Amino acid sequence: MKQKIQPKDLITVGVFLAIMFIVCMGVAMLGYIPIFIPLLSVLVPLIGGIPFMLFLTKARKFGMVLIMSVMIGLVVGLMGMGVWVIATAPISGILAEIILKSGGYGSVKKSIFSYGVFSTWVIGNYIPIVVTRDNYFSMLVSGYGQEYAETLMGYIPDWSLIPLLFASFLSGILGALIGRELLKKHFVRAGIA
Amino acid sequence: MWAMMLQSRQGRAFLDPRTKMLLVITITSIVIGGGNGGAMNIIKPVLTAVPFLLFVVERKWKTAMTYVAVYIAAFSGELFLVPITRGFLNFIVVACCGMFSRFMPGIAMGSYLVSTTTVSEFMAAMERLGLPQKLTIPLSVMFRFFPTVGEEYSAIGDAMRMRGIHFGGGKPGKMLEYRMVPLMISCVKIGDELSAAALTRGLGASVKRTNICRIGFGVFDVLVMLICILGFCILIGNKCLG
Amino acid sequence: MIELKNVSFFYTGEQADAGVKDISLVFEEGKVVLLCGKSGCGKTTLTRLINGLIPHYYEGTLTGNVVVNGYLVADTALYKMAGIVGSVFQNPRSQFFNVDTDSELAFACENMGMPEEEVRRRMEYAVEELELGSLLGRSIFELSGGEKQKIACGSVSTLEPEVFVLDEPTSNLDMEGIALLKKVVAYWKANGKTVIIAEHRLNFLADLADRVIYLEDGKIAGDYDGVTFFGQQVSFYRDRGLRSPYLKDIWRQERYMPHLKDFCSLQGFYYSYGKPGSVLDIPKAEIPLGHVVAVVGKNGAGKTTLIRSICGLLKHDKGILGIRRKKLKARERLSICYMVMQDVNHQLFTESVLDEVLLSMGQKDQATAEWILDSLDLLEFKDMHPMSLSGGQKQRVAIASALTSDREIIVLDEPTSGLDFLHMQQVAEGIRTLQDKNRTIFIVTHDPEFIAACCTDILLMERGKLREQYPLDSEGMGKLKIFYGI
Repeated sequence: MKQKIQPKDLITVGVFLAIMFIVCMGVAMLGYIPIFIPLLSVLVPLIGGIPFMLFLTKARKFGMVLIMSVMIGLVVGLMGMGVWVIATAPISGILAEIILKSGGYGSVKKSIFSYGVFSTWVIGNYIPIVVTRDNYFSMLVSGYGQEYAETLMGYIPDWSLIPLLFASFLSGILGALIGRELLKKHFVRAGIA
Repeated sequence: MWAMMLQSRQGRAFLDPRTKMLLVITITSIVIGGGNGGAMNIIKPVLTAVPFLLFVVERKWKTAMTYVAVYIAAFSGELFLVPITRGFLNFIVVACCGMFSRFMPGIAMGSYLVSTTTVSEFMAAMERLGLPQKLTIPLSVMFRFFPTVGEEYSAIGDAMRMRGIHFGGGKPGKMLEYRMVPLMISCVKIGDELSAAALTRGLGASVKRTNICRIGFGVFDVLVMLICILGFCILIGNKCLG
Repeated sequence: MIELKNVSFFYTGEQADAGVKDISLVFEEGKVVLLCGKSGCGKTTLTRLINGLIPHYYEGTLTGNVVVNGYLVADTALYKMAGIVGSVFQNPRSQFFNVDTDSELAFACENMGMPEEEVRRRMEYAVEELELGSLLGRSIFELSGGEKQKIACGSVSTLEPEVFVLDEPTSNLDMEGIALLKKVVAYWKANGKTVIIAEHRLNFLADLADRVIYLEDGKIAGDYDGVTFFGQQVSFYRDRGLRSPYLKDIWRQERYMPHLKDFCSLQGFYYSYGKPGSVLDIPKAEIPLGHVVAVVGKNGAGKTTLIRSICGLLKHDKGILGIRRKKLKARERLSICYMVMQDVNHQLFTESVLDEVLLSMGQKDQATAEWILDSLDLLEFKDMHPMSLSGGQKQRVAIASALTSDREIIVLDEPTSGLDFLHMQQVAEGIRTLQDKNRTIFIVTHDPEFIAACCTDILLMERGKLREQYPLDSEGMGKLKIFYGI
């Protein structure tokens, strides 16, 4: 097998990007109701596991997962959902790629683990909530007073990113397991994996 | 959203795609995380108004009005509802209004970018920005594929309705399976055909690709860029001064 | 000149029979060659060997040499082959890389990195030669099938290759579309290009093909010159499982037409997609129950809108369907109608053929399900994944689940596009089984051979209106032939 990425592989990445986006966007619509926003860190990796596991059967060369992650970052960023994802997505992408490579792109366990790591890109969407906390806090103080502002900030603790990170990782693993099941049950038998 | 991507354009667009991208990034970074006080109080409302003005220029009246309505609702909610509510309700109001007034402008700008830029304009912009083929090809395929996935998605929805497969009727797991499996399979098949057709027409040749799509900067681009640069200067200034 | 020397190819992973075995052929310059044979005979594989998709895209084992105009295909990168062989494919939906016609025409030249003026010059040339002027500046989603294929032809001809390879280019076209494509092929032929076409529908090539190669199980089973091949009796084509090239020869299968007093009625079927001008405008129509109605008409006549409306799939649909004294609104029709879609991939949900049939049963009853599968010749596939079947088999699985669904009205959208003679016959057989079970059937189709094989009535539509309705007796057959111009 040729190890260099061919144009054909780039098209595959594009096709799966579109699938991932549409599938995840269906879920992400929930985000318009803000109390569901934390829930998205669980749902998006969960659903995305299905196309991603299918994608991995076609991504057997170093770089495809990485390109996928860079693109996710760019597109999420350019769609106005925050600029942090442009940085977090490639980081999780390169880690996921390394895990896959260590398994020779054939190990089932590593591919599941890899998607868990890949899924942590969603954390980029939550960084602004924590980073801009101080700004928001000072605005609240000037507007409504110290005490009130502190109660409010209690709703979004400093450490809230860490559980979200874990949640996205775990639901990624779960999503990958579901994806694996469907892969065996359908995609392999239908002759497309 | 993808319905709007399908237009082809006669003549040049109002703004260069690169300008639009810069706008998205500026708006998302400044309106979401820009802080308060001083010049921020001027630049933030200006940036917030930009998507509205652009929708008006493109004669997308409905989108423009929706944008204004939601923004005003969120803003006045923050102003009037937050002080008079308590407890959980207060949390909801703060979360809703805070989110909408901060994220709406960025998302509106993003949807403007996507809905007013054709695929070839995107390609041209990405190529001029010096992005390698390894990124421009997946990007253009993705945009090409959005409408296809959308079409497949709704056709599968029709088929499910006809066979009486509804939400609530069965287990959600089964629903997911019935939705996703045909979608994945059709998309992969169409993707394979698309690859074959594109490759036999030389996509990915190891030469520098031409793009006959004419993009370039005009007066408005310069104006918009100045606003963006100004915004970032204020942002950095504010950060440095504490 | 194209030369294949002892070429064999087997796909990895896929069914072993789809490849080709020990093919040796020489194609001379400036000739139109037709490759024909049943589905899976290897004609598509042969086209891929010539345009380089084999071995550069499809993986498998290749032996022997393919040389096109002096280039050894296996050693020539795909993008170099692009300038030597132009390829047009079956599905207009999936072969476009851009969403507007101008970019699509420029695409190949852009990939080659030609200077902008050169790209524009070649585009203009292609537009002029293939008469594409009226199609410029359009979204590909608003073009008809024939127009899309014309753009596809234009988009490959900008590279000015000497050889054109077309893989089932008419599968999704109506008569008008085929006529457009035929003109393009004739133009290429007149300009000394070599054109190789793999096709099921032979009719439009009768006066164009210089040579016909008949394939069977991946081997060459016949090599004729055009005149000899197209001068044969009907039985010659039937014996080889080919569609008849002479549509005027098609004969009507005598069908039982139940003379029931019962009708289902359409009332107030108006529809427009938000734009001014309605795409569907049928104030009143009556269809005898238990009949098989072919809905015919040109592209854009409103056929698909009509059947979607009958099924209750349109939004804000005010039409009323009357059946057995019941008046059904759009939503209510969803539960008495069943549509077999043009792309059946959309409606196969489960992991085995048997499950697929059981899914549409109210009371799950395996014995009945198996009996229905047997009647459609599908029993041997009951444990296979529906998506792994061939096009004709998938159509029949969808028909089987329509049968088990107990719906009174069954609707099919272009069930035979891209099917060879045998598979078309099998689908027709499936329709007859449906009719025997007293279903009322609507079929949108462009396929006169198929209509003759299983339909009992014709609904002719024109610009959203019901132009004519007649039974398909011998007189009706005459009318139908006039409509198709045969």
